[in-house]
Amino acid sequence: MGGERDRSGEGGRQKNRTSRWEWVAAAVGTLLVAGTIGYMLNEALTAGGMPPGVAVHVDEIVPMETGFLVRIRAENSGGETAAGLTVEGELRSDTGSVEKSQVTIDYVPARGSRFGGLIFQEDPRSYALTVRPMGYDRP
Amino acid sequence: METQTAARERSAGPGGAGEERDPDREFAIGLARAFGGAIFFSLPLLMTMEMWWLGFYMDRLHLAVFMVFMIPLLVALDHYSGFRETSTWGEDAVDAMVAYGVGFVASVVVLALFAVITPAMPFREVLGKVALQAVPASFGAVLAASQLGGGGGREEERKERVGYGGELLFMLAGAVFLAFNVAPTEEMVLIAYMMTPWHALALALVSLVMMHAFVYAVEFRGSHSARDGTPGWSVFLRFTVVGYAIALLVSAYVLWTFGRYDDNAVARMTMEAVVLGFPAGLGAAAARLIL
Repeated sequence: MGGERDRSGEGGRQKNRTSRWEWVAAAVGTLLVAGTIGYMLNEALTAGGMPPGVAVHVDEIVPMETGFLVRIRAENSGGETAAGLTVEGELRSDTGSVEKSQVTIDYVPARGSRFGGLIFQEDPRSYALTVRPMGYDRP
Repeated sequence: METQTAARERSAGPGGAGEERDPDREFAIGLARAFGGAIFFSLPLLMTMEMWWLGFYMDRLHLAVFMVFMIPLLVALDHYSGFRETSTWGEDAVDAMVAYGVGFVASVVVLALFAVITPAMPFREVLGKVALQAVPASFGAVLAASQLGGGGGREEERKERVGYGGELLFMLAGAVFLAFNVAPTEEMVLIAYMMTPWHALALALVSLVMMHAFVYAVEFRGSHSARDGTPGWSVFLRFTVVGYAIALLVSAYVLWTFGRYDDNAVARMTMEAVVLGFPAGLGAAAARLIL
């Protein structure tokens, strides 16, 4: 009952109760939310159905105490995430396959990239090195 | 009357009721509270790896729909238990957008501290992670006042005055919050795989019994119907059963949002909804106590 009266009394001061900083914050919030929703919708409409398109690149080869590390970068240009991506690297000489190495990358997001490494006993610089994606899973 | 005034003065904090209020100062306090609430409530999810992954792999359309769905929910929540006492729906809408913005900024800060987002990541990935985390964070921002302090007399009064629709809205909000907190994890799927239909039946029964206990407790805490001598079955039908139905619908919606329903296997979809319906149902029934 007393609360009821107070509330109506406060209604009179309503006009100057909202801080102008609150308006600024609300504007920023609205921009963030509306912008994000717009971006998501755009993504959904343009790239939604595109399957993962994964390419694997060799970034560098680093000699280590226990062998050679080939740093790789898996890039996904598609619209869906590739999960459990298997990448295989192979060293070949004129006579055939010398050594194989394999790694699984948990997730490569759509339009994103992930880094990993393949380890070889032989020096990859002395052979023909190929790295390629083998397969992936849907998350 | 006297106790109400005292509670109000506490809730208004320094420069409180009676004197002339400084809206800027009040807003600064509210904003600080909102940040605290945003991080406090969403920390479990900020530290859940499935949330980071969902941020980049979940369907963009589902994410957009979910973000839109949250706006009216935040406005309504703010109306009943926001971080300042508001009178008009317009002010509630302003508050809700502030809360959403706070949720965004809080998520960016914490995710960046955890190195879950880095400048090297593509924009799409960063925005997806932040947008998803901003949902529970904004929830926390709105609830900050009623949980972390303040609260005070007026909100209690307003909660008393909510009608049946308001009650259901509280249930919906409670169900969304609890469901969202557990739905991203792999365990949800795993539990549904391990259960037989008998387990699901038993779980649904336990959900209803526990929900009714919560609803009953809330009724006694000061709501109208129990005091009027309303029979138990009436409360059960109007609140417990309806609340559980809301919880199941919310569960199904959240599971769809997270892409768990992509394969259209109806038996498993139902099972997962029942599994998620347990926490969602408890959230719905306890919402009046928590929110």
